[in-house]
Amino acid sequence: MTISEELQSYKNLSVGDRLPEIKVLVDQNMVDAYADASGDTNPLHIDPEFAKTTFFGRTIAHGLLTLAFVSQVLSEWNWQGWAYGGELSVAFLGPVYPGDEVSVSGEIDLIEQREEGVFARCNLACYCGERAVVKGTATCKVG
Amino acid sequence: MNDTVTYKSLILGDDFLDPPPSFEVTNEVVDKYIRATNDATQELGEPNSRGQRIAPPMLAAVYVIDALRTKVGPPGGVHAKQQFKFHRPACVGETLYTSAKIVKLYQKKERNYVEMTTETLNQDDDLVTTGLITRIWGKE
Repeated sequence: MTISEELQSYKNLSVGDRLPEIKVLVDQNMVDAYADASGDTNPLHIDPEFAKTTFFGRTIAHGLLTLAFVSQVLSEWNWQGWAYGGELSVAFLGPVYPGDEVSVSGEIDLIEQREEGVFARCNLACYCGERAVVKGTATCKVG
Repeated sequence: MNDTVTYKSLILGDDFLDPPPSFEVTNEVVDKYIRATNDATQELGEPNSRGQRIAPPMLAAVYVIDALRTKVGPPGGVHAKQQFKFHRPACVGETLYTSAKIVKLYQKKERNYVEMTTETLNQDDDLVTTGLITRIWGKE
């Protein structure tokens, strides 16, 4: 049986605390560089002529490029908890197009005492302007 | 280049890749990834307790995608949802093996969805990353 207890705060962390926010301007050069680094050369990301024939009408950034920005926010906030046991669950709600500025933000929505330690769950959101492109949660050990 | 795989040919329970492809984590790969993602995480400049250079946690996801390329759908497919557990970061010098299994196939709003579990181990069978990917399959 798993025993857990919700906490409103733990050490210097409280429910409602915001994570450090970042903003990243994504352009086609960045998408091309990510395709080269990752080996994911799906033409939807790097071939404008092909991309015109798709649902999106133009190239879009890799979903995992946006998640790399999410990971940077979590790394800055709690490197140890994120890199060693962190869990991420997200939905891709819309594309990031070259030229978009992606803002990544997060907020602690649950602190939980479990048998194996104290964990914080964060609500995460990535926006391009007013448009949500990724939403989800991340859970990290904090103590 | 592999031939594309149609949605109709996918079977529930199939190992997506057997044997799992391998990928070596090199300094060059880590450098490229950090440059491409503008990652300035301070801890990435510090070695781990074994003196190894560590990679950004999300780098393991790159290997998942690399593995999935061995059985790709028609162009135009995209990720709909993604879950990852990062057991630990990958390190330079490791060879990673990612296996994937189809666990759910369904259609919604005239789109074909494929759910796959993934598991990334190193050469000593140490667990690095596990995941669940929901992918919209490209239309044939």
